[in-house]
Amino acid sequence: MTDMQNNAYISFLPGDFELKGAENTKLDMNFASQRFWKEAAMRFRKNKGAVFSLITILLVILLAIFGPMISPYTYQQQNIKQTNWAPRVQGLENLGIFDGSESLKTSTGTKLKNAYVVDKETGAKNDTYYWFGSDALGRDIWTRTWTGTRVSLYIAVVAVLIDMLIGMSYGLISGYFGGRVDSVLQRFAEIINSIPTLVIVTLLMLIMKPGLMTITIALMLTGWIGMSRIARAQMLKLKEQEFVLASHTLGATNFRVIFSEILPNIIGQLITNTMFSIPNAIFTEAFLSFVGLGIPEPMCSLGSLISYAFKSFTTHPFQIVPPVIVLALLMLCFNMLADGLRDALDPKMKEM
Amino acid sequence: MRRYIIKRLLISIGTIFVVILLLFILLQLMPGSPFNDEKLNVDQRAALYEKYGLDQPLIIQFFKYVGNMLRGDFGVSYTISKNTPITQLLQTRLPISLSIGGEAVLLGAVIGLILGIVAAIWHGTVWDTIATIVSVIGVSVPSYVFALALAYVFGYQLNWFPLLYDMKIPLQSSVLPSIALCMFTIASIARFTRSEMLEVLGSDYILLAESKGVYGPKLIVRHVLRNALIPIVTVLAPLIVGLMTGSLVVEKIFSIPGIGSLLVTAIQSNDYNVVIVLSFIYSAMYIGIMLVVDILYGVIDPRIRLSKEGPHD
Amino acid sequence: MQKDNLILSIRNLDISFQTNAGAVHAIRGVDLDLHRGETVAIVGESGSGKSVSMKAVMGILDKNSVVNHGEILFTYQENGISKTVDILKMDRKTIRHTINGRHIAMVFQDPMTSLDPTMSVGKQIIEGMMLHEHIGRREALERAVSLLDMVGIPEPEKRIKNYPHQLSGGMRQRVVIAIALACDPDVLICDEPTTALDVTIQAKILELIKKIQADMGISVIYITHDLGVVAKVADYVNVMYAGNIVEKGMIDEIFYDPRHPYTWGLLSAMPDLDTNDERLYAIPGSPPNLMHERPGDAFAPRNIYALNIDDRLMPPMFRVTDTHYAATWLLHENAPKVEMPPELKERILRMKKEAER
Repeated sequence: MTDMQNNAYISFLPGDFELKGAENTKLDMNFASQRFWKEAAMRFRKNKGAVFSLITILLVILLAIFGPMISPYTYQQQNIKQTNWAPRVQGLENLGIFDGSESLKTSTGTKLKNAYVVDKETGAKNDTYYWFGSDALGRDIWTRTWTGTRVSLYIAVVAVLIDMLIGMSYGLISGYFGGRVDSVLQRFAEIINSIPTLVIVTLLMLIMKPGLMTITIALMLTGWIGMSRIARAQMLKLKEQEFVLASHTLGATNFRVIFSEILPNIIGQLITNTMFSIPNAIFTEAFLSFVGLGIPEPMCSLGSLISYAFKSFTTHPFQIVPPVIVLALLMLCFNMLADGLRDALDPKMKEM
Repeated sequence: MRRYIIKRLLISIGTIFVVILLLFILLQLMPGSPFNDEKLNVDQRAALYEKYGLDQPLIIQFFKYVGNMLRGDFGVSYTISKNTPITQLLQTRLPISLSIGGEAVLLGAVIGLILGIVAAIWHGTVWDTIATIVSVIGVSVPSYVFALALAYVFGYQLNWFPLLYDMKIPLQSSVLPSIALCMFTIASIARFTRSEMLEVLGSDYILLAESKGVYGPKLIVRHVLRNALIPIVTVLAPLIVGLMTGSLVVEKIFSIPGIGSLLVTAIQSNDYNVVIVLSFIYSAMYIGIMLVVDILYGVIDPRIRLSKEGPHD
Repeated sequence: MQKDNLILSIRNLDISFQTNAGAVHAIRGVDLDLHRGETVAIVGESGSGKSVSMKAVMGILDKNSVVNHGEILFTYQENGISKTVDILKMDRKTIRHTINGRHIAMVFQDPMTSLDPTMSVGKQIIEGMMLHEHIGRREALERAVSLLDMVGIPEPEKRIKNYPHQLSGGMRQRVVIAIALACDPDVLICDEPTTALDVTIQAKILELIKKIQADMGISVIYITHDLGVVAKVADYVNVMYAGNIVEKGMIDEIFYDPRHPYTWGLLSAMPDLDTNDERLYAIPGSPPNLMHERPGDAFAPRNIYALNIDDRLMPPMFRVTDTHYAATWLLHENAPKVEMPPELKERILRMKKEAER
């Protein structure tokens, strides 16, 4: 509005030209300083992919907990007479899907087979249901899938949490003491980092027999380095600030001060790093089990289930589908969740 | 720059040394001796020990071991194929694994770069979303899921490519496994390229170039790519690791006679000599590639290539 | 200043940005003129919109920006004929080809980040030349050497091959200036060219720009938040606040006879070694959030001289002299007689005395 002296078009109110008075000047309520977490939560919620992933993960966890419970079978229960039966779900079977039939590719063509059928003429089926079908030993795949998910999740979470703890401590100590201690610790970490995870894991497999403990330890041994770098960087940055203060105070160990300063700064990255490491851990475990170096039978994990179902891949492909989908979902969702968390907790302001 | 290369070289050599040391210690810790054949009596065993120098002090054994490893004299397999020199086992398998791995890297890098560049340039549009989704899927979904899917669709149902590796038609047999392996590479590179390019696109010097009048492809190629590609080189090393693990699985699915399946068999049959040798090979490959990447990085980035001269203003 | 000397004319510029959190109304109706040979300063705090308006002139606005209305008229000579174009109506490609580098060039704030680290200094200087003019590479490089010499870089033949990281901050900024001058532009826009540099180097760079201006007859627009810089270089000053120009005038008018309370605040806040004042004056509060549209004068919440009408209606530009205008209701005939704070009056008197000496 740059017209000059066009008062004629503006209607003035009485009292317009009175001073508001200095006491009335309100300092603009600008960027209302919202708490860090509230802002982060807001950003996260806007990321539809991340929210969807979070919900999916929670669903999977729920199913992992309750799935085996609502099934009439246990994960190791075998029924030799009911091997390789196709999936059959009450209710859905009336819609024509999941009704227990599977198409088999034979040399003469495709044949439709239904193992549940008792009376070949009437097509009446028996009373058993296998929601995901049964495997080569007659075990219920539904139960085994969710039990396997439990195992996979358990391994991943335990390994990652311990990793974070080890990594954080390693990094904090290395940064705190600095000097020679720091150099030595960093060299050591660098060397370990130079050895591919695969090698470390296989060597471990050699020493210890494959099993739950072994895999967990294998995962722990390799994942801590990332976190240690972050913790060390933070510690180094804060050392400059806090210790100057420290020399003026009582000179007592400022451990508490350091922790109260550092932890809030790394918590964001800690969470993000954890979320990123979990799919890595799940994958490693699944991969190990798949090549036969993982969980021994009859215990199952997602990887071992996939490995087992692989054997009947060409004849009964339905067996491999549930664990593969759950695995892929978990990995996908954890990755997207971690992405979303990283964006929420550490946004790169590019728009302004 | 020279100092940089020498430093890196020394660290790499040192690391390999440490690795061999670790492997050697492990070898010593293994239960039983190489010749734990109950049929041997004490004298015969002593004679064998002397022949293979196993009665000498550990330090000397260690240096002999280092020498052997570096020369490629890997000893023999104990259980998989009794007394077969490991080098023989490797002869056929190593090239197969390397070729499939190499194909995967090349394919993955090229496609990944293109995807990433597209996503960055058309940032915010449909193409960006598509490219991002593909990347996220590629990174999250394990390579063997892809392998299984590919095997099922193209191998089993459509029968375009052989399901099992056939030595007689190596090129065709390697198509599906390479594709399965390279998915991870594509996704990682695409993601990284995209984020690096976006960061460069938002930088001041791009703004300056535009204010000079630089526009379009010239801007992208000369200024954006040149700067964005530098850090991408650093992603190569972890990618190699991904390929290593992926290869184990892919080799199992397609029954490829490579070093991956050899490793698995060795672990399962407790042939620890083979395991140790393969561990060494993998480590050496990894360390070697990291060294190459480091040097490459130094060559590409002028900030590292040229030492800083003092300020003059 | 005669009308036919007018080379750049911004009228009623209004720009918003689309962000995740909402629309940011960054420029809210800006008018600005630049005449040939003139040095115009745009002063204001961070976030006032100084850089954005100039980015609009260069056609390098961010992709998420929306020009709501306005025009940027630029007059230049092409093949002896005078052409006037509205930059806002041109597409980016044409702006790059015809205007950027050739007629209007820009010097950026941070010399540490404004040069491409992977390209040698020489190449960056000749890049513009090779784009806009038909000259060979060797000739271009020779020109680059003489440009480096002109901006005061010693041993220019050697420096041509250097990479940015091999030069100090001050040298890099000189290179940026050389790049800007490479194609002999009519207008040079300097966006806080000395903010990122040491004080001692600042003075040198300012002198350099002044010298170049005198030698080449370039018109310059300075963007700065530092009134000290303004005092040294400007002929004409525009004071910006919250996306508007709140006061504009010749440099003497602004410094010796400021009319807008914000300008009073800015002048009072200049650190001055001669005051006996114990307090360092600062304008209370902080710049407004441009996502919020507030009726009336945007400066009112921080203005101790605010009138009630400031909460209702935005003040238009009031004329003080033919060249001096201020957008404050205090200049309305009905407004109470408000004078600048006494400390500022004193300071201005002191400044006048200094200047006379």
